[in-house]
Amino acid sequence: MMDVGRHPNITLYSYSEVDALTGFVGNFHITIRRKARYVVESECTACNDCVEVCPVVVPDEYQQGFSSRKAIYIPFPQAVPSAYVLNMEECLGNNPIACGKCAEACEKKCIDYDMQDELINIEVGVVIVATGMEVYDPTELDEFGYTRHENVVTSMEFERLICAGGPTEGHFLRPTDRETPKTIGFIQCVGSRSENRGNPYCSNICCMNTVKDTLLLRDHYPDIEAKVFYIDIRAFGKGFEDLYKRSREGGVKYIRGIPGEIEENPETKNLLLTVENTTTGQLEKHELQMVVLSLGLVPRHDGDLLKRFLTLSNTVDGFLMECHPKLKPVDAPTRGVFFAGCVEAPKDIKDSVTQAGAAAARASILLNAGKVKVEAITSRIIEEKCNYCGICARVCPYHAIMEPDRKAKKAPVVIQAACAGCGTCAAECPQDAIEMRHYRDEQYLAQIEALMAERPHEHIVTFACNWCSYPGGDDAGTARLQYPTSCRLIRTMCSGRVDEDFVMHAFRLGAPIVLVSGCHFSDCHYIDAVQWTQKRVERMWNKLERLGIRPERLQLDWISAADGQKFARVMRELEEMLKTVTMEEIKHTMEVLSNGKAEKKATAAKKAKVKKKTPTKKAKVE
Amino acid sequence: MPEAKFKCLRCGHEYTGSYTPGTPQELTCPKCRSNSVRRLPEKKPAQKD
Amino acid sequence: MTDEMKKPDDLRIGVFVCDCGLNIAGTVDCRAVAEYAETLDDVVAVVRNKYTCADPGQNEIKRAIEEHNLNRVVVASCTPKIHEPTFRNCVAEAGLNPYLFEMVNIREHCSWVHQREKEKATEKAKDLIRSGVARARFLEPQIEEEVPVTKAALVIGGGIAGIQAALDLADAGHKVYLVEKEPSIGGIMAAIDKTYPTMDCSI
Ligand code: SF4
Ligand SMILES: [Zn+2]
Repeated sequence: MMDVGRHPNITLYSYSEVDALTGFVGNFHITIRRKARYVVESECTACNDCVEVCPVVVPDEYQQGFSSRKAIYIPFPQAVPSAYVLNMEECLGNNPIACGKCAEACEKKCIDYDMQDELINIEVGVVIVATGMEVYDPTELDEFGYTRHENVVTSMEFERLICAGGPTEGHFLRPTDRETPKTIGFIQCVGSRSENRGNPYCSNICCMNTVKDTLLLRDHYPDIEAKVFYIDIRAFGKGFEDLYKRSREGGVKYIRGIPGEIEENPETKNLLLTVENTTTGQLEKHELQMVVLSLGLVPRHDGDLLKRFLTLSNTVDGFLMECHPKLKPVDAPTRGVFFAGCVEAPKDIKDSVTQAGAAAARASILLNAGKVKVEAITSRIIEEKCNYCGICARVCPYHAIMEPDRKAKKAPVVIQAACAGCGTCAAECPQDAIEMRHYRDEQYLAQIEALMAERPHEHIVTFACNWCSYPGGDDAGTARLQYPTSCRLIRTMCSGRVDEDFVMHAFRLGAPIVLVSGCHFSDCHYIDAVQWTQKRVERMWNKLERLGIRPERLQLDWISAADGQKFARVMRELEEMLKTVTMEEIKHTMEVLSNGKAEKKATAAKKAKVKKKTPTKKAKVE
Repeated sequence: MPEAKFKCLRCGHEYTGSYTPGTPQELTCPKCRSNSVRRLPEKKPAQKD
Repeated sequence: MTDEMKKPDDLRIGVFVCDCGLNIAGTVDCRAVAEYAETLDDVVAVVRNKYTCADPGQNEIKRAIEEHNLNRVVVASCTPKIHEPTFRNCVAEAGLNPYLFEMVNIREHCSWVHQREKEKATEKAKDLIRSGVARARFLEPQIEEEVPVTKAALVIGGGIAGIQAALDLADAGHKVYLVEKEPSIGGIMAAIDKTYPTMDCSI
């Protein structure tokens, strides 16, 4: 930790947050907010004079509230930077009449009540996200009585109670009578591996943390009898099994079963645990003087802003989603962004350090190269066709298109390096004035024509996005899930690319059913491009209805990359639907759509309405 | 939040639910889990976008 | 729309049908598919391979590009999620722009999911190749743009992971900005007494 403060290449902004972040790989612009510390960091020598005179006493977060600190304080003795911070909300007042004692006491005069937040702009080429996790709050698990029973503590609180630098100065005491307990129980998987409350996943570290705690107790308090209540012990890492064995051999009792309830004896404040021992099948009661809840890890609650800045998404467990779970576990889906530590998934210190090293190495590749290539799938404005409506600029999830200027007849401009190539703009442009490099309209139309060239009425034209539903189909294949052969698939980068023209063209050529599929809203690889897919499909349902075509024939599904099951299920369901579409129906559709007039009429009817609504619509978007 | 009628275009199930105007949402049919759920246009020929 | 379509006239497309051992050929009649591919407009060469992604398969592609002066390459094999980069590199090595390559998935999306319907799977494979060839006709060479990389890194979060990443990057000679929300770095780790597996102090 010290090294960070000293390293000539590192600028440390503590007590700071990322206020804004724009740009793209190689070229990120960041605004950092340095929160006012009210103490001049570079001058402070951590002499303690100010702390002594401060009259405000509040619970100390670092000691989990077991002891107190002042309104001006240092978070913990080894803090880096080694400087005090003044909590203005707790401070009595920043004028000498109210208090001002610390400023008086400070010899170096480094306390400044008027200090303001400071905004700093920096430019970087890569970003490493290492924002970590939070610890599960067990109060919702009422049966354990945390906060009701004082001698039920969390694993974080245990750390402070056993620590030499803790509130009890290393004497392990239980909260009620400040005596060293004779018996102690650890409850595992608190907030983890539960479908109903807390989280369904395993938090990775809690088993070994408890094993470690029991060993610490054995070393320092060999008389304490320890019991561990568990579902199963996961000691899979290097050297872990050995620690676990030592814990067992040291006399710690491991009981398979999670207590259903903890009652407190109102006199002794001892705790009575009722547990079904799943090894013996017996209902057991254990009286213990203290209980530690082995807490799981949860995603940070305050990560949304950063996620938006960097266009990141999470996996179902709420941790950030990596580019590829096996082959690119350190890379974010956004280029130039890497993960280190628990922000990606719960992990222990060793794994965090390993991943941090990997992230640094991955980032170095870009920094050393000094330049990056952008895949040539970006959008391009065909200026002759553009009528300066500006829809493209509004729908682009990356704000990669600069607004057109109608008066100056200036077409919108695509910032190539910021464009991710989702194709939403190309699909939304009413003038077809946007072309996606490598994924042009002509190519899709040609594919549709090729697929419809033979027995069109037998085929389900399926649009699948590159990131979720296409690999979802791959997953069905890998698992050898069998489904009907009617699916004819066309890959798009994003479901947002699926132009109304593509769908109508398929129907025009005789497709009985068309499926548009993409990522779930929460998984969208282009921030929120899927919302345009949804809107467009809704629009098409209305249009089909106006044309006398059953909207049911256009289907929509969100299929995740790991959900081959759903992919196969959808294909089976659509096969059943296919049987309900009659030849007459298909012929009618083909006629209606080939007869430009009917389609134009339907579009015109829609346009008239849209026109009326335009001002409000615009206001909404902005 | 206003209420609206929804219809599943896969299994035909119809139900009422609430929605946030202007923000497209992921819709899932409570009966067949399909996402082909259409918010039916209201009585007066209102237009949704 | 259709009448606007324009494609280059001197098209010379090569189609490579992969058996993938029995993974594809076990269900799809690859010979019939290859023969069908030969009948498609603008296709001047069709090669069937046991494993197209292996070196011999890739060499076949390179040879065919040279021999038949191919300007579009279509490989019908597995999912592009795995081998698209492989084949793009392969055609680039033969001097073709990598964007003139197109991939058709007849394994994950065909042979593996229709194992009991061999005939229909074969028909589907033909359709998919027809579609891939149709798309290939409109491929254009692309040049990937290069953007410069600012030589500095931002590390967000000063817990153990952030500290380690910052130190590694700094030691490698890069400028690093480390942003921590709290008044001190250290994160959760700083509040832990002893840590496993070494059972020593965390700070
Ligand atoms: S393709 Fe997507 S990312 Fe690129 S400019 Fe269009 S809307 Fe924006
Ligand atoms: Zn349904």
